[in-house]
Amino acid sequence: MMIFDTNAYLGHWFARQIRHNTAPQLVALMDENDIDKACVGSLSAIMYRNGQPGNEELAEEIADHRDRLVPFGVINPDYADWEHDLDWCVNEMGAKGIRIYPQYHNYTLADGCCAELCQACQERGLVVTLVQRQVDYRQSHWMVDAPDLVLDDIAQLCSNHPEVNFVILNGIGFVRSRFVTEADTLPKNSYIEISRSAAFIANEMKTVVDTLGAGRVLFGTGIPMKYPGPAFLKMQHIETSEENKQKIFGENLARLLDI
Amino acid sequence: MLIDVHAHCQGPLEDEDDPWGQEKLFVEAMDALGIDIAVVSNLSTPRPATVEGFRKCNRDMLAALKEFRGRFWGYAYVNSGYSREALAEIEYCLEADEDCIGVKLYNEYQISDPAVHPVIEKCIELDVPILQHAGHSLVNTEAQPNITDSAHAAALGRLYPEAKVIVAHLGGGGDWEWEIKALRDTSPNISADTSGSVTDEGLLEYAIEILGADRLHFACDMSVTAGVGKFMSAKMSDEDRNKIASENFLQLVGREA
Repeated sequence: MMIFDTNAYLGHWFARQIRHNTAPQLVALMDENDIDKACVGSLSAIMYRNGQPGNEELAEEIADHRDRLVPFGVINPDYADWEHDLDWCVNEMGAKGIRIYPQYHNYTLADGCCAELCQACQERGLVVTLVQRQVDYRQSHWMVDAPDLVLDDIAQLCSNHPEVNFVILNGIGFVRSRFVTEADTLPKNSYIEISRSAAFIANEMKTVVDTLGAGRVLFGTGIPMKYPGPAFLKMQHIETSEENKQKIFGENLARLLDI
Repeated sequence: MLIDVHAHCQGPLEDEDDPWGQEKLFVEAMDALGIDIAVVSNLSTPRPATVEGFRKCNRDMLAALKEFRGRFWGYAYVNSGYSREALAEIEYCLEADEDCIGVKLYNEYQISDPAVHPVIEKCIELDVPILQHAGHSLVNTEAQPNITDSAHAAALGRLYPEAKVIVAHLGGGGDWEWEIKALRDTSPNISADTSGSVTDEGLLEYAIEILGADRLHFACDMSVTAGVGKFMSAKMSDEDRNKIASENFLQLVGREA
């Protein structure tokens, strides 16, 4: 069974030291956990004012590990020259998608710049990734205020751009959100990564799989920011068929990215 | 042996089809994840808790110990502001069931507040641990103005070095590096639990580096895959893992595996 991690990173995080944050170290961590491939984005690019050098650092870092690490660009559509950066990510880095961080980049999902970026991604066939929270809000740095993205706002963005595929990382609370309550009417263009969903007691994972279908659920760990163990435990105990587990572990993401 | 030193119970909920439904789901999760015993408190009352409120919580907790004998041990929850009633309640609960092994304090007072001293002294006298709700965050501070952090617990430890205090959930969402560092210089009897939904890589290794494995206890605080998963992933010696898994807590409460 192929294990393809939707949710991995390289680089530096401004608020705390991240270990295993070079490509060789990350690949070693993946080997230790039997992870075949991982989508990676630059942590540094999130907090650089101009994120593009962070994307360039990522491309250089993964050059010898292209068979294992699939790059995603970090794009801020509220920053000068972002269209150039987007094209560089596609044409030079070989990005299959991008990650956007409105909570750190001073715009909202309803802003025009976000719509323009989604349109540009549609034209280039790129997946758009949103991270509901990069870190727990309660451990906020004193200089940065970045509340969690609201799932219903993300659902509205997905609804506004039905031709774009969206991936939601580090999400929780789907059961009461429009993703589940309006699952029948929203476009089927959103994919949910499981690293924060509950597999016991509230068992959000079961509801999400039953409602959205296993084809729209993705495995992810958050390495090296987070321990991989919780995500594997959730997959071990999720109440679904082995066939669905294979989809979630890697087949869905491979299909989505055409890899 | 794996003991989750920070868990909660709610029932019996008489309005539900199964009054113990939530506890049964929790025990199913414990079985699946290899947790042998969970040490529970019941906080199901508006807070700050009234005397009637914490007494009701504790009657339900004692009922849960009977219902899930061998899987749950318990903490008696009290509001230290009602000193006389709190001390009587602690004595009542500890006498009512031998599996009630300690005291739970929430956010009514910081643990270093003199209002808590009678409870601290009672727990020293009875030689039982206190699990203290805690966190150090710079946001949403108005929600819990009297929440304890590690610095409060460390100060208490310097004042009462015999007190056995467990600072709750290093992974509870605050600045865990701050929480760990603030506990460095205090009584060795001030320990911490690993629970909480935060699964930041390196959290447990850093806690072991700064505090030592002797001052840590495995816990989930109901975030069961987060709790077990990070404990599973963290790099540590087998000796340290065994201490954190249960040996430290068993020693704390004077029980055998």
